[in-house]
Amino acid sequence: MDKKLAVYICTGCGIGDALDIDQLSGVATDDFKVPICKTHENLCSKEGAELIKGDIANEGANGIVIAACSPRVMYDVFSFDNVLMERVNLREQVVWVQPAGEEDTQMMAEDYMRMGLTKMKAMAPSVPFQPEQEMSRDILVVGGGVTGLTASLEAAKAGYNVVLVEKQDQLGGFQKNVAMRVSYPYKDLQKNDLDQLIEAVRKEEKIKVYTGAKVESLEGGPCVFKATIKENGSSADHNIGAVVQAAGWQPYDPGKLDPKLGYGASPNVVTNVQFEEIAKSGKITKPSDGGFVKSVAFLQCAGQRDRKHLPYCSSVCCFTALKQAIEVKRQDPKANAYVVYKEMRTPGQGEDFYRKAQEAGVIFIRSQDPEVALRGEELTVQAYDELLGDTVVLGSLDMVVLATGMVPTTALGEDLKAKLEQEQKKEGEPEVELLRPDYMYASDVLNLKYRQGPELPALTYGFPDSHFICFPYESRRTGIYPAGPVRRPMGVASSSEDAAGAVMKAIQCIELTSKGQAVHPRVGDETYPEFFMQRCTQCKRCTEECPFGAINEDEKGNPLPQTTRCRRCGVCMGACPERIISFKNYSVGMVGDMIKSINVPDEYDEKPRILLLACENDAYPALDMIGLRRMNYNAWVRVLSVRCLGSLNLIWIADTLSKGIDGVMLLGCKHGDNYQCHFIKGSELADIRLSKVKETLDRLVLESDRVRFDTVSITDYDKLPALLDAFAARLEEVGPNPYKGF
Amino acid sequence: MSNRVDPNLVSDLEAFGLKDAHKCYNCGNCTAICPLATPENPFPRKMVRYIQLGQKEKILRSPEPWLCYYCGDCSTHCPRGADPGETMMVTRRYLTSLYDWTGFSRKFYTSERFEIMAISVVALLVGMALLIFNTGNPNWEEAAINSLWPAEKIEIADLVMASVLSFLLLSNVFRCFRFIMGDLSFKIPLRLYASEFKELILHTITQKRFSKCSDGMQWFVHLMIMTGYASIFLLVVVFIRWFQRDLPEYPLSHPIRLLGYYATFAIMYGTTYAIIGRIKKKKPVYKNSHSTDWMFLILLQLTTLTGIFIHFARLLNWPATTYFLYVVHLMIAVPMLVLEVPFAKWAHLAYRPVVIYLLRVREKFEQEKPPPAVDTAGVEREGTSQGST
Repeated sequence: MDKKLAVYICTGCGIGDALDIDQLSGVATDDFKVPICKTHENLCSKEGAELIKGDIANEGANGIVIAACSPRVMYDVFSFDNVLMERVNLREQVVWVQPAGEEDTQMMAEDYMRMGLTKMKAMAPSVPFQPEQEMSRDILVVGGGVTGLTASLEAAKAGYNVVLVEKQDQLGGFQKNVAMRVSYPYKDLQKNDLDQLIEAVRKEEKIKVYTGAKVESLEGGPCVFKATIKENGSSADHNIGAVVQAAGWQPYDPGKLDPKLGYGASPNVVTNVQFEEIAKSGKITKPSDGGFVKSVAFLQCAGQRDRKHLPYCSSVCCFTALKQAIEVKRQDPKANAYVVYKEMRTPGQGEDFYRKAQEAGVIFIRSQDPEVALRGEELTVQAYDELLGDTVVLGSLDMVVLATGMVPTTALGEDLKAKLEQEQKKEGEPEVELLRPDYMYASDVLNLKYRQGPELPALTYGFPDSHFICFPYESRRTGIYPAGPVRRPMGVASSSEDAAGAVMKAIQCIELTSKGQAVHPRVGDETYPEFFMQRCTQCKRCTEECPFGAINEDEKGNPLPQTTRCRRCGVCMGACPERIISFKNYSVGMVGDMIKSINVPDEYDEKPRILLLACENDAYPALDMIGLRRMNYNAWVRVLSVRCLGSLNLIWIADTLSKGIDGVMLLGCKHGDNYQCHFIKGSELADIRLSKVKETLDRLVLESDRVRFDTVSITDYDKLPALLDAFAARLEEVGPNPYKGF
Repeated sequence: MSNRVDPNLVSDLEAFGLKDAHKCYNCGNCTAICPLATPENPFPRKMVRYIQLGQKEKILRSPEPWLCYYCGDCSTHCPRGADPGETMMVTRRYLTSLYDWTGFSRKFYTSERFEIMAISVVALLVGMALLIFNTGNPNWEEAAINSLWPAEKIEIADLVMASVLSFLLLSNVFRCFRFIMGDLSFKIPLRLYASEFKELILHTITQKRFSKCSDGMQWFVHLMIMTGYASIFLLVVVFIRWFQRDLPEYPLSHPIRLLGYYATFAIMYGTTYAIIGRIKKKKPVYKNSHSTDWMFLILLQLTTLTGIFIHFARLLNWPATTYFLYVVHLMIAVPMLVLEVPFAKWAHLAYRPVVIYLLRVREKFEQEKPPPAVDTAGVEREGTSQGST
């Protein structure tokens, strides 16, 4: 494609007052020989957009550079078909953060113009990815409990075919053992209406149900998944668009509990799950002699919120205990039901259910550390009641019910990570630098044919979510969306909601992928990484580091990118030592050229330069925020937006320093336990790569202080100016870059 | 295992009027809002918790119920509608029944039928006694009560009744003293009991703790009823010879007559206010009325009303009416005194000041005690002196 560039400079929002627009136009027309360069006082107006459209139609302009506001705003106005687009952020990151009319402000604007034009010159039009196979739009739902059933039904209602795979012989999951349940509006116990749900699923023609079956293997990626499902010895293949993983949970093994909770000491000490089975028969009776219960104590958080067992809250046990206590009271109003709790957790409308139990006469005891004791024949619980400030004894108990928690299915099975480490140790491979550990267990749910392992990688406590708060339903495997208790502990009410949410994500994934576009977080991106395989050295770094396991490997170690799984973060591009991975509008060379296009005054001008590589997800918006708040920051800074700090290729540091730029700052998202990186471990990878570059710099007698790494969240914008000033001050101490002028 | 949770306590207390305590989730707003609760003697939350956990022993040893005057602030501010004020009232009823060794109080509180029967029986006995024991020679010319039931004779009956009442009440007060003071009962030197005695008198007369409650009206009404009742009690028991007098009436400025008028006005004012309040149920303190609450007010007001009628009948010099009303008056007043004072709501007139007094004594004793260890002692002392005022 012949590129005809056109630059449009907006002079509104104070840009025209702060800058010498003629001089700025000169950068485009003289230095870059851009044939069309126009200014407009209000480019985002209808007339402004018409001006650009006119040039596209009449002049054949197809490389549009808009020097105006941040690319994060007005993207709907500056949206033109079949042209390349680049935005130069003159407003938020130049005139709103720098004094008007100053030489430094002008230099900054001109640098950004150069960088934008350099990028535009290097860009190529992208062609949406289309796989060779036919793309499927069917949804695979793994798990036939409440979540899986609801998900299947929701997907079918939205017009998608569903393949539902249930491990057990019957649909229903855990709930089929439950007679009464607690759900909205939490006023009373409800009859379990699971049968209706199963019936609805059975009747739905769009849903193909497999029971007593499992997913034997799942390969490919969104829209090109191939699922092999094994049922009763025979197996069937399905082409699948996206997957909802609703494999549910298992109760925590009560045998592992602290002996003082009494499990095993008496047959009358049972778990909440066992109580449910007793209650299902319609009569609540003592396991030891089958007599009706007169007095039952429910001990909450048994092996939960406890570092030695499950460190988390399973969120349903409080409701379950209230329900079971009310059932005891219903069977015999004279019976005693005690709930011994750490904290009662019945949020929202659930409070009404707690009241219900209070009204029924359930006795609540707040205790962190109750103890079950057999005094001869008598079953008792001794508990220090914090509200009383004294120890109380619950005597003559017929039954003690322990609230054991939920373990996600993904946390069951062999610990594959430990196994891998063991093998590496045996082979004498050098220990890999520890990232935030990914856990993976051979839980036999998805059996992915992925280079990075067969199941969803688990995060905290073995739950396979991506980022719990920011990206619900996302996992680290594109097109596979966990829902229900496997994602986080939840009850039926939340599970139904969760199912709908996950199906929505699956549908989005199918729709976007079938158009060759990326899914969250770069929704709609049509570029994708392309590998120049002739130069590949089979180092496997891309296949190992891809946060989404999007790259498979052949037996020789060649990467086999599965593009529909790709999220377009560019971590592979940053990882590749041979720099063979690039996007049409984002590549190692392109960014390098942009860096080199920055005008670096020589050291006698006393105008140092700082390159700020800012992650587009949090750091870049934070920098925009500084502008929106009309705060000021250091005028030596030049911001370059990157897809993710994980796409940082170390050559850029070399490019920067050899250009004579005095320092490089990398601004990424927070990593660690409460990570905010949209690509999970991008900023962490950048940090690790950087620690290596620092050693090299020190060896080359180039001060390692010239490179600095920081993490910010978007709300940290107010701290950034001071951070940049401090870095500039440090660079001044270090002195000018000796490579200036070379 | 004294700390066994007794799940039946709650249902037991329901007979004493417990209604909403189960709604409590122990947030402590009630204790925070209460102007009388102190860090040493916090209430009402603590009592509610005792009840929820069936801690009968602990309730028995708690002075807190008597420190509460039921202003109703806690119930107004309770986020759960658990009515902690009423729960405190219930514990007072419960404690009254526990202090009472005869077991009569418990029956009185837990059975309306028993309550009405008991009062009716005593009333009938009094009526019969008055009909049987009299001079048999009434003055039909002039309204002269002394002609039928001479004051000296009534005085003897008064004294007999007073000693029976005192015996019952004081024996119950002694039990209360033992429960509250526990092991300390006889360890505290007598001089402390003596030196703090003025507190007992002061509190009895002024109810000054009550005035700290935010609703001043309740304190005033309570003070009116209490002083009116005390005055008339003095007049009919101690000064009966001067009080039960035939015509000619004292001049208006005579102290006995003035005191009688004051008492009449004070009681009528107080009881009318309370009765209207209990009917309207606007104030939290009047929202819940146990049968004994009604009985208390009705008997007191009827006694006063019949007293007023006697007064006018005498002044109008209607002998027959006067004598008839006198019998009715005593048929109401005597059951009220005999039954309510040692066994029911009236008993609080003894328990409350006594408990406040005992706490003062205990506090003084603990202040004088040599501190057990250096640094904890300072804290303790500070803590106790805070609660003393």
